[in-house]
Amino acid sequence: MVIETVHLGKRYGNLQALADLNLSIEPGKVFGFIGPNGAGKSTTMLILSTLLEQSEGEAFVCGYNVRKDPASVRQSVGYMPDFFGVYDNLTAVEYLEFYAGAYKIPASKRRALVGDLLELVNLSHKADAFVDSLSRGMQQRLGLARCLVHDPAVLILDEPASGLDPRARIELREIMKQLREMGKTIIISSHVLPELAELCDDIGVIEKGRLIAYGSVHEVSNRDTGQSRMQLRALRNLDKAGLLLASSPYVHQLTEYMGGYRFYFQGTEQQKAELLQELLDEQVAVVYYGDSKKDLEDVFLAITEGVGME
Amino acid sequence: MSDFLFNPLLVKEMRDRFRSRKTMLILAVYLFVMGGIPMGFLLMDPLKAESLGDNRDLFLISAGIHYAMVCFVAPALTAGAISGERERQTLHILLTTQLSTRTIILSKLITSLAFSTLLLVASMPLYSIVMLYGSVSPEQMAQLVLFLAVNMFFLGSLGLFCSTWIKRTSISTVTTYGIAFFFVVGTGLLFFFIGESLQQTYPEQYVNSNVWSMYELQMLAGTNPIIVLSDILGESFDQSDDITFAPWLFFSCVYVVLSFVLVIWSAYLLKPIRRKWWSWKKRPVRVQ
Repeated sequence: MVIETVHLGKRYGNLQALADLNLSIEPGKVFGFIGPNGAGKSTTMLILSTLLEQSEGEAFVCGYNVRKDPASVRQSVGYMPDFFGVYDNLTAVEYLEFYAGAYKIPASKRRALVGDLLELVNLSHKADAFVDSLSRGMQQRLGLARCLVHDPAVLILDEPASGLDPRARIELREIMKQLREMGKTIIISSHVLPELAELCDDIGVIEKGRLIAYGSVHEVSNRDTGQSRMQLRALRNLDKAGLLLASSPYVHQLTEYMGGYRFYFQGTEQQKAELLQELLDEQVAVVYYGDSKKDLEDVFLAITEGVGME
Repeated sequence: MSDFLFNPLLVKEMRDRFRSRKTMLILAVYLFVMGGIPMGFLLMDPLKAESLGDNRDLFLISAGIHYAMVCFVAPALTAGAISGERERQTLHILLTTQLSTRTIILSKLITSLAFSTLLLVASMPLYSIVMLYGSVSPEQMAQLVLFLAVNMFFLGSLGLFCSTWIKRTSISTVTTYGIAFFFVVGTGLLFFFIGESLQQTYPEQYVNSNVWSMYELQMLAGTNPIIVLSDILGESFDQSDDITFAPWLFFSCVYVVLSFVLVIWSAYLLKPIRRKWWSWKKRPVRVQ
């Protein structure tokens, strides 16, 4: 396991910010942390980044204990906080070179490394621009490049998309997909839940300091209700599709949605495939048949319903 | 050592501190004040051949102003060093790098000391005016320079400690000046108050003002910068006449040690995870 927490907890006076957190994240996986503000996501990330000491339990990153061997953990982790400042009198190149130096990368290798990183985050054209003159989206991308200067195995990204416009979010998401392909293990928290669904292998739902759901996106989606929200779009024979879906025993709450249908499916993956085959047999020209993009938000609301009221 | 001298934080801080227009402005204002006041006194009381070797006033004024400027400038240079990073939201990122807290603290301190030293060295030629009058020995000048340097080191370390300990720069700055005020004025007042109180409470025990020869009170006097500066300038107070050791040496030793304690304490406070020596093994544990 690249990241492992064992009964991890954090207490601020009488407030239990995190309780009994047990996580195991395999190498190369992207893990999404979902939860409202104050749920304990940032606390967990701070502990894993060696910036906060836990009150109970243990945490390991790449096999190193975060409390006993923070220097080795720091070498293995690239951490990007939700809000971070920049030094206003440095250019993008100088900014990355500064952090490369802080990670003790030899001076002779820094210039080439910085060039590669700027290219990775599509900021080569802003190499000589002062960091504080960059847009928020560009600063986030530069922050991501900064996380990568020492080639860490793990990236801990706390709400990297917060405050970004849709274009900047898409650009950031594309970079993160590249990082996933590079084999980085990523922990990411976000309020934009559909983005996590697309990016993450596993997700964890955390509320009031406790992990209340944990597993693959599909497992968590079906965890409480045993059903997933799906969407169908078709070019022809949409009425036939409607009749077929309405008559299916697996389909509930069928509604028209964006020129197609949205419905809850209660059944196995095999039964999903069989339903698709039936639609195709009826000459329905299917262009999309899959989980609804809003699915994770619904799951989150369903799972956390009532937790905050205790 | 070379690793430390070329660490990126030190290089960046030095560049920020010395390559800005603000730096030149501070230096110009400092020299203007330092040179302007003695020049004003010279205009009021022009140099006369018959007063050469007798007039020490200019030396006293210059040293007094110099010390006041050190008290004013040195804490200001460091009181926002760490809290400023915290307020800019750059501290967390810095702490996740391979720079140790000791390196961060020392880099900040060395940068501010370098600037303070520049101010001190740049103003030294002004003492050539003082030397025109004579009546100042090279030994006194050397003691004065050492005294000012020790004060810079201590006040810089104090500012850095407050900046690490307190999150907000404004509160850190006020606290630094408050504690500095205690050391500059408070220790002197304590010396006089305690001595007078003892004399009045036990008049039969401390006859003929021999309370001031108590070793504890002498040590307290030796920690007060104003008493020590007065001694260096040859203008000691009646109460501190009985000091049996060299006040400047005692003062330097005490404040250098105190400064090192503050630096080490600051580095400890800055650590996100503070090692409890009694509970952990030193060897890192790697699990698979």
